[in-house]
Amino acid sequence: MNMSLPEKTSKNETLLLVDDEPGIRRVLGITLSDDGYTVLTAESGEEALALFKEHRPGIVLTDIKMPGMDGIGLLKRIKRIDPDTEVIMISGHGELDLAIKSIQNDAVDFVTKPIHDEVLAIALKRARDKIEMRRTLSAYTENLEQLVAEKSARLVELERRVAVDQTLEGLSAAFRELAGGVGGDVSFFNDMPCYVTVHNTAFDVVAANQMFKERIGGIEGKKSWDIYDAEENSRPCPVEKTVASSTGQKSRHTVRLKDGGSIPVMVHTAPIYNQNGRVELVLEISADITEINHLQKKLQATRQRFRQLFDEVPCYISVQDRSLRITAANKRFKADFGDDSGAFCYEIYKHRSDACPQCPVARTFQDGRSHSHETVVRTKTGEEYHMLVLTSPIRDENGLVAQVMEMSTNITEVRRLQDHLTSLGLLIGSASHGIKGLLTGLDGGMYLVDSGIAGDNQTQVREGWETVRLMVERIRNMMVDILFYAKEKDLKWQRVDIASFAEETAAAVAPEMTADSIELVRDFGPDLSEVRLDVGIVRAALMNVFENARYACRSDIAPKTHRIVFKVFQDPDKVVFSVEDNGTGMDEKTLSRLFKTVLSSKGRKGTGLGLFISSKIIEQNGGRLTAVSTLREGSTFTIEIPKTPAIQMASRQSIVNDA
Amino acid sequence: MPKTILIIDDDPVVVKYLTALFEDNGYNTVTAGTGLEGEQVLKTTTPDLITLDLEMPEEWGSNFYRRISREDRLKKIPVIVISGMAGRHAIKKAVAYLPKPFDADKLLGVVKKTIG
Repeated sequence: MNMSLPEKTSKNETLLLVDDEPGIRRVLGITLSDDGYTVLTAESGEEALALFKEHRPGIVLTDIKMPGMDGIGLLKRIKRIDPDTEVIMISGHGELDLAIKSIQNDAVDFVTKPIHDEVLAIALKRARDKIEMRRTLSAYTENLEQLVAEKSARLVELERRVAVDQTLEGLSAAFRELAGGVGGDVSFFNDMPCYVTVHNTAFDVVAANQMFKERIGGIEGKKSWDIYDAEENSRPCPVEKTVASSTGQKSRHTVRLKDGGSIPVMVHTAPIYNQNGRVELVLEISADITEINHLQKKLQATRQRFRQLFDEVPCYISVQDRSLRITAANKRFKADFGDDSGAFCYEIYKHRSDACPQCPVARTFQDGRSHSHETVVRTKTGEEYHMLVLTSPIRDENGLVAQVMEMSTNITEVRRLQDHLTSLGLLIGSASHGIKGLLTGLDGGMYLVDSGIAGDNQTQVREGWETVRLMVERIRNMMVDILFYAKEKDLKWQRVDIASFAEETAAAVAPEMTADSIELVRDFGPDLSEVRLDVGIVRAALMNVFENARYACRSDIAPKTHRIVFKVFQDPDKVVFSVEDNGTGMDEKTLSRLFKTVLSSKGRKGTGLGLFISSKIIEQNGGRLTAVSTLREGSTFTIEIPKTPAIQMASRQSIVNDA
Repeated sequence: MPKTILIIDDDPVVVKYLTALFEDNGYNTVTAGTGLEGEQVLKTTTPDLITLDLEMPEEWGSNFYRRISREDRLKKIPVIVISGMAGRHAIKKAVAYLPKPFDADKLLGVVKKTIG
């Protein structure tokens, strides 16, 4: 036999051929190998199954009637192992029931013996198409999953930032509270990490704090000197000395612990006088020296951690005085806005020479409260960031606002995500609109098939089937459009010679225009130079605009010569492509909805992107897609691309990306 | 004498569907892909009923309706709106509004009730 299959798709595909007749295995095997398949052969269902498990071929071609496990049995087993395997059945003449049974069990096709080349070629093509389609879809799905993962990671990062903001707020509140509590509260005693005791002038211990009781013991019958190690020459003890001299004492001693151990302490005493000015009680505070070392270390660590937090939080922190002069700033602030300490906030943030009208720091100085404010600032390298600014007062010992801490979080990315979500929402809206149209079309196709069968009208059945096929094609196009849009696209800016880009684009659409008797006029400016742009995106959008213009001309019933003028020109800031047609034109309502919905399910051939998607993508690249139109006169679509992409790219970056 | 229905929809698939559906049920049909084409058809034919899509590429179905309702010969023709757009706000005088994808039996029911 002599089959010829398109080489590019059959290469590298492994195929398992199962037949109990050696002749068929040999002849068919050679042909399939010639066509580029890697062919495995088996003479029985059992052997085939073992080979299948080992090699996992994508396509299995099996005879139905075999001794032992027959083809149908093999088909079922294979589908249970890997439902994605495409199985083609070979049946004898007149075994239609077996063929039907195969298809019911999910075989991709069947061929009858004797095997005709073309029939087998079609079956194999169908199998390859299914495999190819599944691979493409799975690639899309994986891309989508990855996209979702990336998006979620970014959201988690944003949430983390919000949490840090809140922590900072909590910290500054705690500091304020602590400062207020230092002077007064006596319950403080019990919480103090020292031994605190009160003695009378008969040298009885009359009161002790919790820590004393826990570590040294009860106070009943305890004399002031009993606290200390007996071997130590501790008489007169600090309390005795205090009573004798009426002044506070400071000395080092060793205390005996309940558990028999002893620890060195630093002892401070203070006499407490009665109304007559005589010493009545003595307050003794002993601090564990080892504990002090520990406390000092802890304090230092805390300070360091706080410094680190100050420097490393993913926000910009600065401290400002009343004149809005920056007196301190964290590392990140200095890195992005310069460490020009002593400069004014408005100079550094906003590059202006006087205070901003809505300054939240000034408001905090006025009312002593925290304020928040959203604004756009510019870094020292000229990038613009959307910032959420929070302020918090720093008070002096008198409770007056001495300085204000300003914390700014870069929310550029949040804003961008919000925009993206909004347009995704629009996309879903228009997709569901499009799907309504497609369902109507499918209903139509099915009706034509049904009524064609009922009336025995083959032409109508074919027409109906063609309609169903067309709708499936449109669904596929719509899927591709949606995926194209949902996918995060890397910008591929490259230097492009505008004149040749324009000529190539015109050449690509010219044949279709000629076929529809539409005159294509090129009107290219004289001084087109090289410009940086993303060729793929601009071309996709232009093709779509041309497709619309062609459709507008084709469906115009006015008796006139239809013409599409393709203009390309440059001005100092941008490149402008415009496509002007004299077709049907649009009324205002249609024009106003043009870029909002229309994932068109209708007349459009569906070769490219919808106008909605085109305009969004051009926008994301810093450009604009606009349209003007007059009903019955024609429309003009214009794409403007700025010449300095750096400006747009800057706004897409964010603190997350450079962190 | 069979009744005639004018079908206006820019999607050829829908036009084909409605044509088959109506003709199988004993009606005559004429078709148009835009409101303007519809007006051309109306110059030579006075149908008993019109089915009208709202969202069409160059012009909304409601504009077509506004123009024909100014003509005495045409303004009495009942209109059924079949559209993917939500709501029937566009043409208040329509005898029915069927959102796409529509139910064929329901459409035939409305047609039968309106023109027999």
